[in-house]
Amino acid sequence: MYDLIIVGGGIIGVSLAFKLAEQGFGKILLVERNYLGSGSTFRCAGGIRASFTSREHIVLMKRSIELWGELKEKLGVKYSRSGYLWLTHREEDLEKIKGYMRIHHMFGLDTRLVGEDFVKEVAPYVDTSKMVGALFDPLAGKASPFDSLYKQFLAAKSLGVEFLVGKEVTRIDIENGAAKGVLIDGEKIPARNVAVTAGAYSVYLLERNGIKIPLTPVPHHAALTEDFGRLFDPLIIDVASGAYAVQTFHGNVLMGVDVEEKPFGELSVKLAFLEKVVSVWSKWLPWLPNVNILRYWPGYYEMTPDHHPIIGPVTPIENLYIATGFSGHGFMMAPVVAEEVASWITSGRPRSQEAGNLVLSRFEEGKTVKELAVIG
Amino acid sequence: MCERVTVEDVERAIDMGFRDVESLKRYLRIGMGPCQGRYCVPIVLGILSRKLGVPVEKLSYVAIRPPLEPVPVRLFLRVKKDV
Ligand SMILES: Cc1cc2nc3c(=O)[nH]c(=O)nc-3n(C[C@H](O)[C@H](O)[C@H](O)COP(=O)(O)OP(=O)(O)OC[C@H]3O[C@@H](n4cnc5c(N)ncnc54)[C@H](O)[C@@H]3O)c2cc1C
Repeated sequence: MYDLIIVGGGIIGVSLAFKLAEQGFGKILLVERNYLGSGSTFRCAGGIRASFTSREHIVLMKRSIELWGELKEKLGVKYSRSGYLWLTHREEDLEKIKGYMRIHHMFGLDTRLVGEDFVKEVAPYVDTSKMVGALFDPLAGKASPFDSLYKQFLAAKSLGVEFLVGKEVTRIDIENGAAKGVLIDGEKIPARNVAVTAGAYSVYLLERNGIKIPLTPVPHHAALTEDFGRLFDPLIIDVASGAYAVQTFHGNVLMGVDVEEKPFGELSVKLAFLEKVVSVWSKWLPWLPNVNILRYWPGYYEMTPDHHPIIGPVTPIENLYIATGFSGHGFMMAPVVAEEVASWITSGRPRSQEAGNLVLSRFEEGKTVKELAVIG
Repeated sequence: MCERVTVEDVERAIDMGFRDVESLKRYLRIGMGPCQGRYCVPIVLGILSRKLGVPVEKLSYVAIRPPLEPVPVRLFLRVKKDV
């Protein structure tokens, strides 16, 4: 009998397994149907920031950033507090970033407007000739999705967590209003608690139990260049288009931008994405047209109506927990989410009030989270 | 193999619990260099097959991400006009 079965081996499931194993929680099994990280996690950009515009996001992400620092110390995870830099080349966008900055300051986040000299220092290969202004977030940073998942996987494994990879959970076993385990290949595997961390696919899994959650998978795209030496340290954002670019720890430039996509749309490659993303970034990175694209892939953002995650118990079912709906920010939140879900499982309570606001029942009760400003 | 990975690295990773090519690729970076895996992935499949005692045909190949070869960014800048 397991004390906990975790369904889904993305960054959320693996971080939860590691967190609980560290706390000496009993017997844990993590089930992953494909390979670890194969969902959204290994498709993500690895960006980490607290500079959001809701109390919930800011407070939780500040804690998550502390925990990222601890993961780096404890496990040597590739994580760097190299900042985020919002770049503008139009006056109207400058007003927009000043608005964000005021909200950040209200929550004690130290973002600041920076000039050309500063940009040249942290991002020597960004062309500043068309820049009218920039906002820098020194608390933000990046981590390697592969490295952070694998190091926590290996650590959890050495602490006794069992991993069942290549098997799909077809259903959660729910009897008399309580989770009793999971079904795999028609066989029941009993457990005292079940945590669903199946990313965008959580919606399909819970549907089989007749549980509806307001979660919508929406495709997003990313492309990667060959690797170079140091080009720019912070993750950079073009405010006008919302496009981002980050240099990976290996040296490649990973770029993303929104293109029109349908909810529940298939993951398919779009030439229009590549055209848009390289046009935006050629403006700031004039050398880009001369380098090579190595890989390009789509992946899901798991969207909720208020763009905030769903964390905590799946009420009214007992012993069933969920953590998903990160709306494009699940990687950065993984450490704090693991801590909060661990708290729900071991004590029946969230660790912070802000996490408590993110329970599934908020949608029924009309207590969705309000953003103070919506960033592109 | 590319990205300076040795056969020994691959064997050690398999022992640590990385038992499929997709995971070995991401743990060791095999197949992520300029050849995009066309040279080294077959070698890795051979090692994996030997260590796990599973015939190569039963092991799945890595997903192929477009483009098939490194493509200069400037080609995509022209897409709108040409297509
Ligand atoms: C292009 C792109 C860029 C992104 N950039 C960032 C970023 O910079 N920063 C950031 O914080 N976030 C980013 N994200 C979002 C981030 O990737 C996700 O929010 C995060 O990875 C979610 O992790 P997860 O563990 O919840 O889900 P996933 O990684 O999707 O993991 C879920 C796992 O569950 C498994 N699974 C599903 N159903 C079953 C089942 N029935 N049985 C067993 N296993 C099952 C899947 O195979 C999968 O491995 C980005 C996403 C994309 C697509």
